[in-house]
Amino acid sequence: MKINQSLISKLEHLARLELSNSEKEEIQKDLNNILQMVEKMNELNTDDVEPLVYINEQQNVWREDKIANQVDRKDALRNAPDKNEQFFKVPKVIK
Amino acid sequence: MNIYDTYETIIGLEVHVQLATKSKAFCSDDTTFGADPNTHISVISLGHPGTLPKMNKKQVEFAVRLGLALNCEINPRNTFDRKNYFYADLPKGYQITQDASPICLGGQLEIKVGEEKKTIRLHHIHMEEDAGKLIHDVDPEHSLVDLNRAGVPLLEIVTEPDFRSAEEVDVFMNAMRQLVRYLEVSDGNMEEGSLRCDCNVSVRKKGDIQLNERCEIKNMNSMRYARQAIKFERKRQIDLMEKGERVAQNTLNFDPSTGTTSPLRQKEDAHDYRYFPEPDLPPIVLSEQYIEKIKLEMPPLPNELVDKFSIEFQLPKYDVGLLTEEKETAFFFLEICKKTNNYKAVSNLVINKIKPYCNEVKIGISKFKVSPKSLAEFADLIEDGKVSSSIAYQRLFPALIKEPEKSPEIIAQELSLFQSNDEGFLEKIVNEVLENNPKEVEAYKKGKKNLIGFFMGQVMKSSRGKAEPKSTSTLLRKKLEK
Repeated sequence: MKINQSLISKLEHLARLELSNSEKEEIQKDLNNILQMVEKMNELNTDDVEPLVYINEQQNVWREDKIANQVDRKDALRNAPDKNEQFFKVPKVIK
Repeated sequence: MNIYDTYETIIGLEVHVQLATKSKAFCSDDTTFGADPNTHISVISLGHPGTLPKMNKKQVEFAVRLGLALNCEINPRNTFDRKNYFYADLPKGYQITQDASPICLGGQLEIKVGEEKKTIRLHHIHMEEDAGKLIHDVDPEHSLVDLNRAGVPLLEIVTEPDFRSAEEVDVFMNAMRQLVRYLEVSDGNMEEGSLRCDCNVSVRKKGDIQLNERCEIKNMNSMRYARQAIKFERKRQIDLMEKGERVAQNTLNFDPSTGTTSPLRQKEDAHDYRYFPEPDLPPIVLSEQYIEKIKLEMPPLPNELVDKFSIEFQLPKYDVGLLTEEKETAFFFLEICKKTNNYKAVSNLVINKIKPYCNEVKIGISKFKVSPKSLAEFADLIEDGKVSSSIAYQRLFPALIKEPEKSPEIIAQELSLFQSNDEGFLEKIVNEVLENNPKEVEAYKKGKKNLIGFFMGQVMKSSRGKAEPKSTSTLLRKKLEK
């Protein structure tokens, strides 16, 4: 797989980012490097190796159905770049 | 033949059920509906860096319960996946869902459309989380974000494309609503969005086997709208095909004010969700004992009760429908039926007196203060002919509500409500009635036999309903035909 400019624009859209032309070129170079490294790893035969998803063997890490650890609205809104008394505010986007 | 009649509609559903847990799916925030904006949130639902999700046990239990009720195969090893998209309704940038290994596979629900039974097959049921709410129409420059709903546990039930009409969808959604309420996994409230569905609609020429391109109508939380949307979409697609045009696969919005669907504005590649395994939630492994335990705790299901009431209890369809609509009523009815075999009399009592009374005083039927034993006795008094049903309903029932602890038989005695087939008592009243209505007696004798109803009425009135109908009618005929 080769990273070209059309893939870059697709990723740009999916990540909701806007890149300048020079940034796009830079990113293209970086991503190609990353892919090359992955391709290098792909040379290894991994047929009998399960993908590693979990770093330990734990299972059924679950909790009782109880209400706890809520945060205060004031605290929750404190870090928001834009807000009013009750809500987070975001640029108007209708899906 | 009408051109529209040569097409059939193919519909599949994605039903979202909001679960009635106290806390959210992967964090402990309150799930209560209708709270002040952004008051049921935590660092986890806000997607703060470094926070980790933790599975709610109850969500798994509810999923298994619903799966068992729908005859699904329960997946013993559950993992989760991230569905990636950037939208302000989900701050962490992905929805946690089950893409690769849903908790329930297959299964079906039998529905009854008119007189016909039909089986709707299920593809699978998976666990996921809801997104927050965006408000677009308050601030002209901004969308407002309320994250109370972000992370509320959902089950998504995906059906096979087995529906052929909006009516079938309607019946299925009602059955689903009834089922989740019986199982107590959700309140099934469509207005509050606890139960909603996406409808995948396509049309094809009758007799064709191949499915055509389908359109998905999003977020129907009213069955009336769903019916309208499906009907509109059917016509739109047939019209396109008749013009020789292709139906483009699309996601649609339904506008209730115009009754029309329209495509949601979307870039072509917006649907690239890049699913990958969610490493933050370790697998949920379900043992056979775990599943068996849930199976043992299952309440009777609506379809089972419908069969029991109509086959074993021999009740008419109308009664069965009303008695099984809500679990509370069905169970209340069953409790009384443990103490008597007069099922029809009990059914009449529940439907005609107890339910209306409870509605009027606004209590659940399970809170009705007269014991099942007394109510069984009440039904027996009617069925054994000791108290006429009209007297029982008009006088005994209100008296029983006033003194719920007292036995109906004792109350009937105290108020002397027993109907009488005592010949002396009856004869006296019958004689009086005949003497007071000479004209009618004359007419009867001349052949106007249907006046018997009039005489019966008079006797009932004079005896204040206590005359036993059968003996009264025999005695009346005997006297009139002398």
